[in-house]
Amino acid sequence: MEERRRKRSFFDIISEYFRELEDWAESLTESLMERPCWNERECIIEPLCNVFVGPTEVIVTADLPYAEANTIKVEPINEETLEITAKLRRTLRFDDFGITHRKGEFSAFKCQLRVPVPVDMENMEIRFKRGILEIHLPRKRGYRITVE
Amino acid sequence: MAEIIKIVEKKPVPFGALMINGLPDVGLVGLIATSHIISELDLNEIAYMDSDLLPPIVVLHEGLPHAPLRIFGNSNLLATISETAIPANGIYAVIRHLVRWGQAKNVKLMISIGGLPVPNRQDISEPKVYGIGTTPELIKMLKDKEVEIVREGFMVGPQALILRYCMEINVPGIALLAQSFFNYPDPEAAAVVVRELSKITDIKVDVSKLLEKGEEIRLKARDIMKRTQMEMAKMKKTQEYDLPLYV
Repeated sequence: MEERRRKRSFFDIISEYFRELEDWAESLTESLMERPCWNERECIIEPLCNVFVGPTEVIVTADLPYAEANTIKVEPINEETLEITAKLRRTLRFDDFGITHRKGEFSAFKCQLRVPVPVDMENMEIRFKRGILEIHLPRKRGYRITVE
Repeated sequence: MAEIIKIVEKKPVPFGALMINGLPDVGLVGLIATSHIISELDLNEIAYMDSDLLPPIVVLHEGLPHAPLRIFGNSNLLATISETAIPANGIYAVIRHLVRWGQAKNVKLMISIGGLPVPNRQDISEPKVYGIGTTPELIKMLKDKEVEIVREGFMVGPQALILRYCMEINVPGIALLAQSFFNYPDPEAAAVVVRELSKITDIKVDVSKLLEKGEEIRLKARDIMKRTQMEMAKMKKTQEYDLPLYV
């Protein structure tokens, strides 16, 4: 064992370190996602969401089936966090899906999303089509460097 | 300890049948489509996969426990679904075993149903279905049925491995992939692919119920979509957007 350890090259150690780091990041992501989307206490459902960072804009989408279009709200909480809320067209219960051992009814979607890069929240564009909410956030520019 | 993987047959399994596979992948297209076919054709559960590569779960339906990866069928059709995302680290063995089982049952055609993610899916009212075949003859058959072929590109995940193992052991295989959302359940894409399936096989299934229940399905499918998304990330599913280099 000791002999094997001595034989490991510098590159082996580095690649092992990165592998461990990758595993750690993966388990962290999983543990963050590993929570129920149905919040019985607040009567809300957390929608499926996605954040895509493009070169000029960030596109946030959320899947909102049963959402009442005119109740959808997108509000910046701070410079990097958005809150999405929407009322459902009707109250949904676990019973509606054949689940009888859990009780709970849900009347709205709600989630908060962190945008990973600086964006201009004031100039966001929003559309709702096919039950999918799409938010376009222009990326903030720092300063220009002239190319000679 | 050796990994256990076997398909337990509960009822007689037909030989020479068509086998369709709807495993969790982009937009859950295959799973939604195949579940709808199973329900509309009232197929019986005839086998299930027992493997320690799958999560330690049972699915309860009508109070009875079931394995998550099950095979349904009648005298001329087999249909596989999994109600749990297949873990990335077990996918090779699971799919290899499934395809070999199909070969042992002498399936006449292995059909993989799934989605082809497109970024502008919201703007597409009628998703297009693309096809892939494991032999030139199957590609010709698809073209004759006016299915556009995926000529160049990458495939990643269950469909990719089904095609690969079909090629490896000479099981005729095709994939039917509808344009779909990447990580949102897409019943509309599932309906389109079921319609396309009826053009190339004698599986005739009405999709009106599937479309009517679209929103309900999207809500019910959220949890499995989330887990599938995690596994797809591990499989580097976004590689499907890459261009292959073959000079």
